[in-house]
Amino acid sequence: MKHTPYTSKTKAADLITSDFNLLYIFERFGIKLGFGEATIEELCSRYNLSSALFITLSNIYSFDDYRPKADALGKEEIPQIISYLRASHRHYMNSSLPTLHGNIHTMMEEYEETNRYILNKFFDDYDNEIKRHFEYEEQCVFPYIESRLTGNRKDDTGYNIANFEESHTNVSEKLNDLKNIIIKYLPDSYTSEIRATVLREIFRIESDLRKHATVENRLLIPLVAKLEGEKHPKA
Amino acid sequence: MAKKKYNILLIEPSEIVATGVAAIVNKSNEFKLTTILPDTDYLRQVRTAHDIIIINPTAATPVERQDIRTILGAESGTTAIVALSYDNLHENELLRYDGSIGIHDTPERIYQKLHNAIKECSENKNEAGELSARERDILVSVAKGKTNKEIADRYNISIYTVISHRRNISRKLGINSIPGLTVYAIMNKLIDISDIQ
Repeated sequence: MKHTPYTSKTKAADLITSDFNLLYIFERFGIKLGFGEATIEELCSRYNLSSALFITLSNIYSFDDYRPKADALGKEEIPQIISYLRASHRHYMNSSLPTLHGNIHTMMEEYEETNRYILNKFFDDYDNEIKRHFEYEEQCVFPYIESRLTGNRKDDTGYNIANFEESHTNVSEKLNDLKNIIIKYLPDSYTSEIRATVLREIFRIESDLRKHATVENRLLIPLVAKLEGEKHPKA
Repeated sequence: MAKKKYNILLIEPSEIVATGVAAIVNKSNEFKLTTILPDTDYLRQVRTAHDIIIINPTAATPVERQDIRTILGAESGTTAIVALSYDNLHENELLRYDGSIGIHDTPERIYQKLHNAIKECSENKNEAGELSARERDILVSVAKGKTNKEIADRYNISIYTVISHRRNISRKLGINSIPGLTVYAIMNKLIDISDIQ
C-alpha cells in the first residue's frame, strides 16, 4: 500500500500551501479562508462535509496516479459529490471558459480574416459542446441520481448510470488539439504575451477538467452503480 | 532474427479471454506475456517496461480511452500499444493504437499483427515528423469531411491503410479531432475555407 500524505489530521492550511490547486476544492465547497490552525476533520465538521471525501478529492487533484477507492465512501457522500461537481461547472461556465474565450478572440484580432474565422469558430464550437455536456449532466444525470437516493424514481425510463458512462463524450481532445495548433501552427504575430497567456489557461483548464472527469468516473459512477445494485429503498 | 523476446503486458477484464491470449502469445518463441491486469487501476504498480501493451479498451474509462498512450505511459514510442477487440470498436478509436488484434484472429495472424505494431511504433519514433505527400492528400480529404470509406475508395486502398495514415497524421501533428485537422489544413492553405462551407 502506498501512503498518501493527506489525512484527516492534516492542517487545512498545509493542504493549500503544499498544492495551490487544492484551493479550488475549498472554493467549490464554499469554505471560507481564515480558518487558522483547523485540521481537515475540524473544518469539514464545521461545514457538514465528509472529511473522507475531502481527502479523496485532495489526493485526486494532487497526485496524477492516485486512484480513489470508492469503497472508502458511501451513498451519504453522493449529494456532496454532486454539489462539488455543480460548483465546478459554475466555475468553468462563469469564469474559466469566458476568460479563455475573450483571450482567444483578442489573440486572433491581429490575424487575417480566414485564420481568425477558423480558429474562433473551432473554439466557439468547443465551448458550446462542453456547455451542452455540462447541461446534460445537470439536467439529466444529477436529477436521476438524486431521485435514486430519495427513492422517488419513476421506474419507466430504463435509464441507469451505465448510459451516462456511454454518453460521457470526451471534452479534452479538442482542447489538446487547440494547444498544439497554438504552439505549432498559428503563424507568428506581433504580440506573443497574449498567446502565452492563452496557452497557460488551456493547460490549467485541461488539467482541471481531467481531475473533474476522474471524480465522475472513479468516484461518482462506481458509487451510483453500487446504489443501483441495492434493493429499492422503499421495497 | 535476434533472440530477444518481446515482453507483453495484457490488460483484459475477462479471465477467460486473458488466459486464451496468454496461451497463444506464450506459444510463440518471440513473445512473452509477463503481466496480466484486469483494468487500468493497477498500472502504477507495474514497474517493468514492456515492448508491447495489449489492452481491451473497455478496461479503461471513457476519458482514459481518449488519451490512452499517456495513461499507459507510452508517449515516447518505445512501447507498442495494441487494442484487443471483441468486434466492438469503432474504426476511429483504432486510430489511437499501433495496431489491433481480434478475438477471432488465428495465432499466426496475431503474431504478424504484433510484429506490425512494433514496426509501426518504431517507425513513428524515427520519423522527422513532416507529413508525406500521401498523408497530406488524406488529411485534405479528412478535413473536407470525407469518411474513411470514401477516402479508401478514392485512393484505392483499404480502410485499414486509411486508418494507419490517419493515425500517423494525428501523431505527427498532435491533432486528433476532425475540426482540429480542418483548422490545420486551412492555416496551412491545404484547403480553402469555401471547401468546408
